[in-house]
Amino acid sequence: MAVITFDRVSVTYPEADRPTLDQVSFALPEGDLCLVVGSTGTGKSTLLGAINGLVPHFTGGLLSGRVLVDGRDTAHHRPRDLADVVGYVGQDPLRGFVTDTVEDEVAYGMEQLGIDPVAMRKRVEETLDLVGIADLRRRPLVELSGGQQQRVAIAAVLAAQPRVLVLDEPTSALDPTAAQDVLSAIATLVHEVGLTVVLAEHRLERVMQAADSMIWLPGDGSLVHGSPREVLARATVTPPLAELARIVGWDEVPLSVREARRRALAEDLAPTAPRRAPANGRPVALAARGVEVRFGDVVAVDGVDVALPQGSVTALLGRNGAGKSSLLWALQGALTCAGEITAGGQDPRRLSAAEARRLVTLVPQTAADLLYLPTVAAECAQADAESDAAPGTTAALLTALGVDVPDERDPRDLSEGQRLALVLAVQLAARPPVLLLDEPTRGLDYRAKAELHRIVDRLAATGVAVVISTHDVEFAALASTRTLLMADGEIIAEGTTADLLTSSPAYAPQMAKVFAPLPVLTPADVRGGL
Amino acid sequence: MDGRARVPVAVVAAALIGLVAFSWPLFLRPESGMSATQAPIMFALVLPTVLAVVLSEIAGGRMDARSLAMLGVLAAVGTILRPLSAGTAGFELVFFLMILAGRVFGAGFGFALGAITLFTSALITSGVGPWLPYQMLAAGMVGLFAGLLPRAGGRAEILLLAAYGMVSAFAYGWVMDFSFWPFGIGEDTQISFDPALGPLENLHRFVLYNIATSMGWNLGRALTNAVVIALLGVPLLRLLRRSARQARFAPASSAQPLAE
Amino acid sequence: MERTEALNQVHPWAWWCWAIGIGIAVSGTTNPLLLALVATAMIAVVMLRRSAAPWARSVRAYLLLSLFVIGMRVFFQIVLGGGRGETVLFALPEIPLPAWAAGIQLGGTVTAEALTATLYDALRLAVMLLCIGAANALANPRQALRSVPAALYEASVAVVIALSVAPQLIESVQRVRRARRLRGASSTSLKALATVAMPVLADAIERSMSLAAGMEARGFARTRGLPTRGTLPLMLVSSMAATIGVFLLLSTSWWQPALGLLVAGVTVAGFGLRAAGRRLRVTTYRPQPWRGRDTLVAATGVLAAVLVLGLGWLDPTTLSPALAAILDPAALAPTTDPLAWPQLTLPMFVVIGLVLAPVPLTRARKVAQTASTRNDTRVRSLRPQVERPKVPAWR
Repeated sequence: MAVITFDRVSVTYPEADRPTLDQVSFALPEGDLCLVVGSTGTGKSTLLGAINGLVPHFTGGLLSGRVLVDGRDTAHHRPRDLADVVGYVGQDPLRGFVTDTVEDEVAYGMEQLGIDPVAMRKRVEETLDLVGIADLRRRPLVELSGGQQQRVAIAAVLAAQPRVLVLDEPTSALDPTAAQDVLSAIATLVHEVGLTVVLAEHRLERVMQAADSMIWLPGDGSLVHGSPREVLARATVTPPLAELARIVGWDEVPLSVREARRRALAEDLAPTAPRRAPANGRPVALAARGVEVRFGDVVAVDGVDVALPQGSVTALLGRNGAGKSSLLWALQGALTCAGEITAGGQDPRRLSAAEARRLVTLVPQTAADLLYLPTVAAECAQADAESDAAPGTTAALLTALGVDVPDERDPRDLSEGQRLALVLAVQLAARPPVLLLDEPTRGLDYRAKAELHRIVDRLAATGVAVVISTHDVEFAALASTRTLLMADGEIIAEGTTADLLTSSPAYAPQMAKVFAPLPVLTPADVRGGL
Repeated sequence: MDGRARVPVAVVAAALIGLVAFSWPLFLRPESGMSATQAPIMFALVLPTVLAVVLSEIAGGRMDARSLAMLGVLAAVGTILRPLSAGTAGFELVFFLMILAGRVFGAGFGFALGAITLFTSALITSGVGPWLPYQMLAAGMVGLFAGLLPRAGGRAEILLLAAYGMVSAFAYGWVMDFSFWPFGIGEDTQISFDPALGPLENLHRFVLYNIATSMGWNLGRALTNAVVIALLGVPLLRLLRRSARQARFAPASSAQPLAE
Repeated sequence: MERTEALNQVHPWAWWCWAIGIGIAVSGTTNPLLLALVATAMIAVVMLRRSAAPWARSVRAYLLLSLFVIGMRVFFQIVLGGGRGETVLFALPEIPLPAWAAGIQLGGTVTAEALTATLYDALRLAVMLLCIGAANALANPRQALRSVPAALYEASVAVVIALSVAPQLIESVQRVRRARRLRGASSTSLKALATVAMPVLADAIERSMSLAAGMEARGFARTRGLPTRGTLPLMLVSSMAATIGVFLLLSTSWWQPALGLLVAGVTVAGFGLRAAGRRLRVTTYRPQPWRGRDTLVAATGVLAAVLVLGLGWLDPTTLSPALAAILDPAALAPTTDPLAWPQLTLPMFVVIGLVLAPVPLTRARKVAQTASTRNDTRVRSLRPQVERPKVPAWR
């Protein structure tokens, strides 16, 4: 018995010239974990929103065809009328919270449904236990870590006892450990409670082994629904294991590292690792000694030494709160800190803001913070003026970065990747010899990440020293030559990316796990090594 | 009563009641046995009822989740701006947002935003007291009239809003000072309220009192409003209108008729 | 454990009722001895019964405000006061003002009578402020918000949102301000306001959209019906009646019908609100119960108000001499011209007793402390951020 049925569903937004979803049909049986994949802008969020009627009731747009959820037609039921059938969890949990403590947030949905206080009391307890957050009940939501917040968000919709759980990229803002926490909580719900879960996710490598079925949105409005193996064999969305399968010519995509490793061992695959040229001999673009950042009693960065050779790409890894961002801000000179920092013979902290960004430039985690003008063209012109660059420099950079958006577009309407490119162009207009990127891969799909990799490579080739702080080990493996590992404000390991990532169980990319102990990091390494 | 007329009727009634409450120094008589300090407190007991009626009428029943979330978030912005800006003579950043939001989202929203901003701010700063209903009503009116200003576009609109910002700043200061006059200066100086004197003489005294004690504040508040609206008016109006537009196309454009 | 917590928390509206009652009682007297004793008792109750929550410290701010009010009053009395009374303390040079300020002169003689009268009156206002401060310190605003009438549910949701979003917005402001340097902006001019305000507000508005989607998806307004017909005219007419009641109370001597109109108006409007709230069927998670103890705390305030105001309205000449001597209504407003030492009477001690009554009626602070830690984070988390820079968002 299908719990979700899409029957020739099309969705067209008012300002769009073609439908986002075009005559799509599928049915999900009860108890399935269905993974929705596709590049940014192919309609993943639209598909998820259509399940509980947020599309079109809330977002606007035109929906034709029929969406049936547990027998209810979303045309006649507004999202709020489906609250007891579909639980919907968005990308950034903190933004969807109505109240401020864990317990109240969990109770909120039931208050809306008018559930009797006595029954509510009991259900809150049950739900807290189910998601494993009973010990957090009194905590303020803002003080929780990202993974905890996401689990609270899940608990908050579960309290209404829905039959379907819809999650729109629930782990995109989380570090690997927290993401794992959330995903295992979801897996528990599928296996123990029998919930039907529809999950959109950029980094498939984490979840594909748990999926029962997969929906791929190629981007032309159509939809492919099938078993993960079938879909992954066709999809252009390629997690490392799918890419590996294509490279070595496997007909079936392995869904887990274990599966791939067994098969690789059985077939005696042993790619030779590529030779990586060390960047150590080159002159240092930025050197820092004993950097220490304090916020009140909290020591965020504790005596860190860094040397960035020209033309190197350094990955900065570590848990949330390990001090990665603080270190980057300190290196830029924008954060008060102790220690020595030298870039191009000068200390960026002693320079004016305008001069400092010509030595070291930083693209912050929330890149949109830097944008305040109404159009892309205005931002570009302002950036030219700030950097004393010739008019048109930033616009040209933006084009070179592979982003082509209309000049009069509002920067807030751009996609995550386009916005990142715009901020990157704005910051690169100053032609800095050192570029610091704080979590640039957040919310980027595989294609956008490949694009970013290309950009970083090109910058490094011109001698720019690049630092990328990231949670995405696959991206770090792809883009960086050196890696710094931070924990608790200190750098606990430093070395070439190949050495460091293959030797760490937590940070090893999937290819390294498949071919351990060979120092192979990415599918491209495998292709080159066979 | 016609459903559509409910909000305007409630708001007009609140304005009338507010007018009586704010102007008590004009009709307090010595023979009543009430002192000038007690008068605003008597009204402070009645005004919450009126505010409750109006707010439940504006927010309840008609406001959807989107307007309510917008109301809450904008009130949060005002709430942080208030303590950030208070203290420096009259440099008050709390009003410009009510004015711009009232202009974009309409008079009812403006009223609710004004009242709720002041209420939230009082909760956070422990400023709940008899003055709060007065402040809520006055700030609500600032947002309300911003929504009733005549049509204008481009530069004329900014000019209009900045001018309204100045006028409303003075009006807010005057009505608040007037109703809490005895709180500010007591009852037996030459510029104090004296129930025995009659409305005209008292008004004259009030003008002197106001010039002596709060001219600087009112002027500062008026200039802040005008400058901030002149500076941020264009981008902010665009921003608010953008979200108002996004919010509008929802149910009307969906394919099937909705069973409400 | 939670049961005992709830048991130890006095309902916020009970505290407010108590404090307002005392405040109204205070407004009916200028006796400095009584005022000083009420103030002391008030502070004692706050110190014994307040929680560890941030708003519990607000009484200090109110104390300072009270002192400021007294200072202001005395200053204006000296500079602008009329020369009433005979006991001249000192004289200031007289400065006549221009014609438009006719009748007013600065300076002149300062008399003990005028100064004492001002001090008494200022003290009364100061103690009223203190009552409000006490309520702010004792009542949990978060709990109070949970117990608003159902008709105000939507408005209270907006306040709840505002309270929970505000700390996040402060972080957003700090983040954006720090980020400005990255683009080379170092000016602190008014123009820089836009570079901070625009990203923060844009972010805030986007936030409101995802918040609304979350509310909608979780069933907000699902049980909302259409407004009940007839409630609005009822509420408006009764509010008008209450207003007219106050108007009559202030402008005429017919206090009985005026008071009747006021009470009737407020009561009917209350019922109207209640009826209007029926269109909504949301429930409350762990509602704060109203217990007998809360009624007692509220009643002490009402009793104090009735006692003092009733005493003030008494005509001593109609009382038997013995009763008049005990009650002595005139002692509530001691004369300042000629100066006389204020007296304490029996009813005044009863008032002090009523102010102190919540101490034995409620339990000790230690237990109340754990109770207050619940759900108070909104206000708590905002305070320190307003006052001092915080660890940035990413920590």
